[in-house]
Amino acid sequence: MFVVDLDVHVNEAPADLAPYCELPWRKSLEALQGVPHRYLDIPGFAPNFNPWAVFPTLERRTTVTHPAQLREDLDLLGVDVAVLFPDSMLLHPLIKPPDYAVALARAYNAWLVDVWLGKDDGFRGALLAPHQSPTVAAEEIRRYAGHPQVSCVFLPSCCVDPLYGHRSYDAMYDAAQECGLPVVLHAVTAINPVFPFNLQGFETPFMAHAASHTFASIVNAMSMLETGVPVRFPGLRIAFTEGGIGWVPWLGMKLDKEYGERRRDVPLLTERPSHYLQRMFFATQPIEEPEHLQDMATLLGLFDGENNVVFASDWPHHDFDHPDKVLQIPISDEARRKIMGGNAARLLGLEVPVR
Amino acid sequence: MRTEHALGPAEAVPPGGHDVFSVAGRQIGVFNIGGDYFALPNTCFHQNGPLCRGSVGGTLVADAASAWRPEWRLDGEIVVCPWHSLEFNIRTGACLAYPKRRVPTYPVRVDDGVLKVTL
Repeated sequence: MFVVDLDVHVNEAPADLAPYCELPWRKSLEALQGVPHRYLDIPGFAPNFNPWAVFPTLERRTTVTHPAQLREDLDLLGVDVAVLFPDSMLLHPLIKPPDYAVALARAYNAWLVDVWLGKDDGFRGALLAPHQSPTVAAEEIRRYAGHPQVSCVFLPSCCVDPLYGHRSYDAMYDAAQECGLPVVLHAVTAINPVFPFNLQGFETPFMAHAASHTFASIVNAMSMLETGVPVRFPGLRIAFTEGGIGWVPWLGMKLDKEYGERRRDVPLLTERPSHYLQRMFFATQPIEEPEHLQDMATLLGLFDGENNVVFASDWPHHDFDHPDKVLQIPISDEARRKIMGGNAARLLGLEVPVR
Repeated sequence: MRTEHALGPAEAVPPGGHDVFSVAGRQIGVFNIGGDYFALPNTCFHQNGPLCRGSVGGTLVADAASAWRPEWRLDGEIVVCPWHSLEFNIRTGACLAYPKRRVPTYPVRVDDGVLKVTL
C-alpha cells in the first residue's frame, strides 16, 4: 500500500538556519547558538510560555535532525512519502519584530529546500508562509513552487492574528492558487497573547454567535473536569444550556485521547474524562439541524445522549426551538420521553406524573 | 506450553534498574524494584510502543486521603511508555489511565545468579 504522511517534523536549530538568514537578523541566530535548546521553547526562535510543573519520567525530546535518520524512521513506520514541517517554527506567528520573523521564514524555506529536498528520499516540503507579510509569503510561494518536491504551503495556525480569513492574506492565497499548491494549517500548543480567543476578528455575528455559545460551554466543562469538580462534589448535578449538543462527543473523545498521555495532569480523574462528562446534562437548544435527520440519532448515540440530554426551547429568543424539532429525531419513544422530560426530572428532582 | 528462559547474570539488572531482553523471538522487559524482579512485555497495548524502554519513577495521585491534592506515590514502581506516556504499574501490569486494561506479567526469578523468565 502506498502510504503518504501529511505531518512529519524536522528539527531546525538556530545554528542550522543562521547561514541561510539575511543580516542583521542572522546576528540573532548566531547569538542564540549559546542558549541551551529546549523543545519548542527557545527565546527569539520558538517563543513559548511554559509555566507548567515538570515531573520526572514523562519528558520526551525526540527530534529528527538528519535526512538519513528520518528515512530510517519512516521505513520502520511504513511511510513512503512524508510532508515535512518544522519544530520551532510552529510558533512562528509569535516571533517579533515582524521583519525578523519574515527573514526567519525565508531562511527556513532555503534551509528546507537545500538540506531536506536535495534528493528525492520521499520527502516533500511545506513552505513556511510568514503571516506577518502576506506579500513575502506570496513571493516565497512563487519562488519555490516549481521545485519538484515542494508540495504545499504551511500556514502556522497557532497564535495567528488576525485569523486566516482576513482579507490581508488574499495575496498569499492568490499565489498558492496560481501555483497549484494547497495551504495546510498546522496547530501547536500555545495560548498567547489572546489566541485562541481573538474572536473579535470575526466580521459577522454569524460566526461570533456560533463560536461564543459553544466555546463558553466547552471551556467551562473543560475547566470543571480539570479541577475534578465532579469528583470532589459527587452529589452535584451539572447542566449546560444554549450550546447545543454537537460539541459533547467531540470534547469527550478529545479529552479521552489526551488522558492516556497526560493523566498526571488530572490525577483526580480515575476514569476517562468522557465518563464524567456523560454524567452531566446538556440542553438541546439550539438543536443542531443536519441535512439528514438520522444524523441526530447517531449524534445522541455517541455520548449516551438518551440519558443526559434535556429539552430546552429558549423561548422567546430569536433562536428558540419548538419541541417538534426535538420530537422529530428518529429515536425510540422511551428515549424521546427521557429527553423531553425524564432526564430533566432527574436533573431537577421533579416527580414525573403518571399519565 | 510455558517454558523458562535464562536471560543472563542477575547483576545486569541492579535494584532500581531495568532492561529489555530478546527471548524466544519476543522482547521482555525485566525490572528490579528493591531486589524483587518483575517482567513485562516490551509492547504497549495502546499503539505497540516499546513500553519497557521507558523511564521508571513514581506518579501523581489525588484522592480524598490527600485532600484532593496531588501526591507523588509509588516511586520506582511505575514505567512510562516512551511513545505516548501511558503509565503502568510494574508489579501488576495495570495501566493507570485505563484501570480495566493491563499488560501481562511474567514470573521471573534468580537461579544461581542467573535471571530466568517463564513465558
